[in-house]
Amino acid sequence: MQKQIKAQIDRLVSSGAIYADARWYPVEEEDYLSMWNGNLKSASAARESGIGVRVLYKGAWGFSASSDVNNLASIFDKAYENARTAAERVTFPVRLAEKDAIQAHFSSPNQIDPFDVTYGEKVAFLKHMDDLLNQPGVFQRVASLNFMRKQIIYIDSEGSEIEKNIIEVFPSIAVMGVDEDGGSHERTFRPPRLGETRGWETIDKELFTRESERIVRELNQVLKAEPCPKDDRSVILLPGIMFLQTHETIGHPLELDRILGYELAFAGGSFVTLEDFGSLRYGSEKLTARADATAVNSPGSFGYDDDGVPAQDNLLIDKGILVGAITGRQMVEEANATARKQIFRGSSGANRATSFYRVPIERMTNINIDPGNDGTLEDIIKHTEKGIVLDGDKSWSIGSNREQFHFATEIGWLVEDGQVTHVVKNATYKGDTLKFYNALSAVGDESTWELKYVDNCGKGQPNQIMQLGHGIPVCRFDDVRIGE
Amino acid sequence: MDERIIARLTELRQFAIEKGLVAEFFFHEEESALMRFANSAISLNTSEHLVRLEITAHEDNRRASFSLITNLDALEDMKDGVLQAGEILKHTQPLSYTPTIPVYQKTVIEEAAFDSDLAGISNAEKLDYFNQAVAGLESDQIKLGGIFSSGRNVIAAMNTNSEHALAFVSSDAQITIVLSHKTLKWDVIAEQSAQKKTDLDPASLQRQLAYLLGHYQNAPAEQLPLGQYDIVFGPAAIAELVNTMNWIGFSGGMMKRGFSFLREEDLGAQVLGRQFSLMDDPTRIETFPFSVDLMGAERKPFPLFEQGVFKAFAWDQDSADEFGAQPTGHDVMHKSLVVCAGDKPINSLEALVNAPREKDVLYIPYIHYMNFVNPSQGLITGSSRFGALLLKQDGRVVVPYNVRLTQSLKDIFSEKIAWISDGQVAYNVSASYGARNPTALIVPNLVYVQGLEISHANSSY
Repeated sequence: MQKQIKAQIDRLVSSGAIYADARWYPVEEEDYLSMWNGNLKSASAARESGIGVRVLYKGAWGFSASSDVNNLASIFDKAYENARTAAERVTFPVRLAEKDAIQAHFSSPNQIDPFDVTYGEKVAFLKHMDDLLNQPGVFQRVASLNFMRKQIIYIDSEGSEIEKNIIEVFPSIAVMGVDEDGGSHERTFRPPRLGETRGWETIDKELFTRESERIVRELNQVLKAEPCPKDDRSVILLPGIMFLQTHETIGHPLELDRILGYELAFAGGSFVTLEDFGSLRYGSEKLTARADATAVNSPGSFGYDDDGVPAQDNLLIDKGILVGAITGRQMVEEANATARKQIFRGSSGANRATSFYRVPIERMTNINIDPGNDGTLEDIIKHTEKGIVLDGDKSWSIGSNREQFHFATEIGWLVEDGQVTHVVKNATYKGDTLKFYNALSAVGDESTWELKYVDNCGKGQPNQIMQLGHGIPVCRFDDVRIGE
Repeated sequence: MDERIIARLTELRQFAIEKGLVAEFFFHEEESALMRFANSAISLNTSEHLVRLEITAHEDNRRASFSLITNLDALEDMKDGVLQAGEILKHTQPLSYTPTIPVYQKTVIEEAAFDSDLAGISNAEKLDYFNQAVAGLESDQIKLGGIFSSGRNVIAAMNTNSEHALAFVSSDAQITIVLSHKTLKWDVIAEQSAQKKTDLDPASLQRQLAYLLGHYQNAPAEQLPLGQYDIVFGPAAIAELVNTMNWIGFSGGMMKRGFSFLREEDLGAQVLGRQFSLMDDPTRIETFPFSVDLMGAERKPFPLFEQGVFKAFAWDQDSADEFGAQPTGHDVMHKSLVVCAGDKPINSLEALVNAPREKDVLYIPYIHYMNFVNPSQGLITGSSRFGALLLKQDGRVVVPYNVRLTQSLKDIFSEKIAWISDGQVAYNVSASYGARNPTALIVPNLVYVQGLEISHANSSY
């Protein structure tokens, strides 16, 4: 098959294409099992295979994909035809940043392939979780397991040939209850990534047992709690909500395609401009953020992106100053040319597609915040006069240029004079992105840092759902509006 | 429709019977194309041909499914999928209820929503559409973005209970055109939903864009003070708000699970304002409707709210089986939601701007990134985008920086509704993730709501 793909790429290049690549997925598999109140509502498996072809002609992209690889030539021809049409409306001819031709192989580290585990064992795990969650106060309980396995063969016209074999494991449990006013509340647990691997072995049953007890306990506290006050306070975000804050207001606004306006018709733009790199004070000096695709145990690590560029660890924000972005080969060339200076030195290796039938676009890898020097969670609480500790993502809504946001969390604990006083329900907070990060007043140490996964990041048209990670410490922000 | 599809499903049905399996087959084929514009160029031009098959195997009250993306010729692959579903089934646990498997009484092939001209629209025609829709509007500062998403969609279903099949073929196009200011970062939008090629009307979009652009380029811009405003919602905002009721409103299953702002005791009660009526109307071809659902039930107009009175929950078969309710013909990939027109003869932004007004009115055409803050209260939040205007009482027009609305659906569609346009439009809400599923709502052109709270206002674009 590889030979046939190379022959097709050569054919297009010899007929005038500047560049072509193909991603052949011999197999992509997914298992999804979900138990809802004891009912195994979903026991499903999926398998797909196919090829996606990208062609660059006179500075314009064409793409074609099919699950039928029996007629490869027609798929390549369609991509080429699409590129020819696109070439009729070009404003900045696409150029690709330099990269090395690479022959490589990447496999995500796993001890136990989840697809080798029997369905019986998977269902038994869900049943065990369901039994643990079936407690007073719990109205709905959900335990779910999601497994993915992809084999991707990437070949391009510049001589690269890369095979990737990636396995992902996404377990979660959740409980929901209804308070005396009829309001629904929930607590969820999605485990942080621990250890050096990312297979079935990462599902730690003892950890899940402990956490099931915790989320049931906290749900019952929320059900009896008073509403979150409308107030201005310090907010102390645990990794269970800080990961999403980071995702939405550091990750997305620093995707270079958003900054350059390529998502304006749908997802939106970014308040960041090209002139901001190297000078914009994004946050206080306590804020250092990076895009680290080299963390071994995260879905944001994939060896090589879908431009064939190796995974990297790059600074995004250095002690509060904006220094980097999430980039692929196309966008860095356009950004440097537009800015008339070299802002970016090559691709940061973050161009990814969710499947063979989608085109690669800038995606987050592991967008992490470095641990700080402000101690443990207890230390931070102790040094907070009037605050609220928040955890659990309930809802999130962000302005079209990522300039402002509104989040609702599953639980809040009010803090007065360095002490947690009581739990509140319906906790929310909102703010303006730059003002918020510049009010970052404490960053927890290594003991507070957790690597969280995201398995459902949506972006692009046609829309793509991507998996990635966020390594996050506890963070405190001052003077934030809560309770709206 | 390609006759091989029914033939293939029939072969799979026979294979499942031979293997002693009770099975359902759901087939989906799409030929999708998307021309995407950004920075006044075609940034992406895609074509995808995908065939999906989902097999669900049953035994008493246990079930399991296996789905694959494959091609129509790959019979052995599909048969293997049947066996895989049977294999997973062995490891499942019994449900607390027995899922109903339909017995189709006749074969239904529905092609009314298919237009070969639209399905076969060429690259050149799509580019020409865009060129016409933005004729004279682009500049060094004003940049074009948007999509022309079009395709052919085939859905078919069969099971081992009968030899009959259901099949639905449709064509669709969703067009979004955005003009954005390169440095100021504001953007305006015009959209169109098409079920047939003759629905396409680039001149109409050009007029809408030119009108909005005139205001955005010439009117002063300002940060709005927080507080209460009379708000006129455009079609996109109305459609998005109403569409959320699919999730946290009238779904019987979601209500039973505690994720709805409606309760069983709300049936027959005045829940929303008297001017608000909503139905699921599969006779409206612009909604890419299903004339029967995937259980084989004939679908008829189904009132959800009549003059604000809540009439019925929509029950899919699985939820109905689980909670002991009667299914209502809602095993469909999407409903055909229609918000009834009102009696106000104001049907465009231009007419709204020119109409006399007693106070300032905020026009919000689109709600960006809406999410459910509290489903059981119907509380949503989102920001204005794509062409909001503040129409001052004295006739002036101001461009407001984006604002945030955090409000209950019960409040938005309450007696606070002052008027509803007497004209309607099809608004396309198709999601481009996963299997193609052309979806549109019919909504009034404008809905005027009094006294809604603006909780956040940007200080710049």
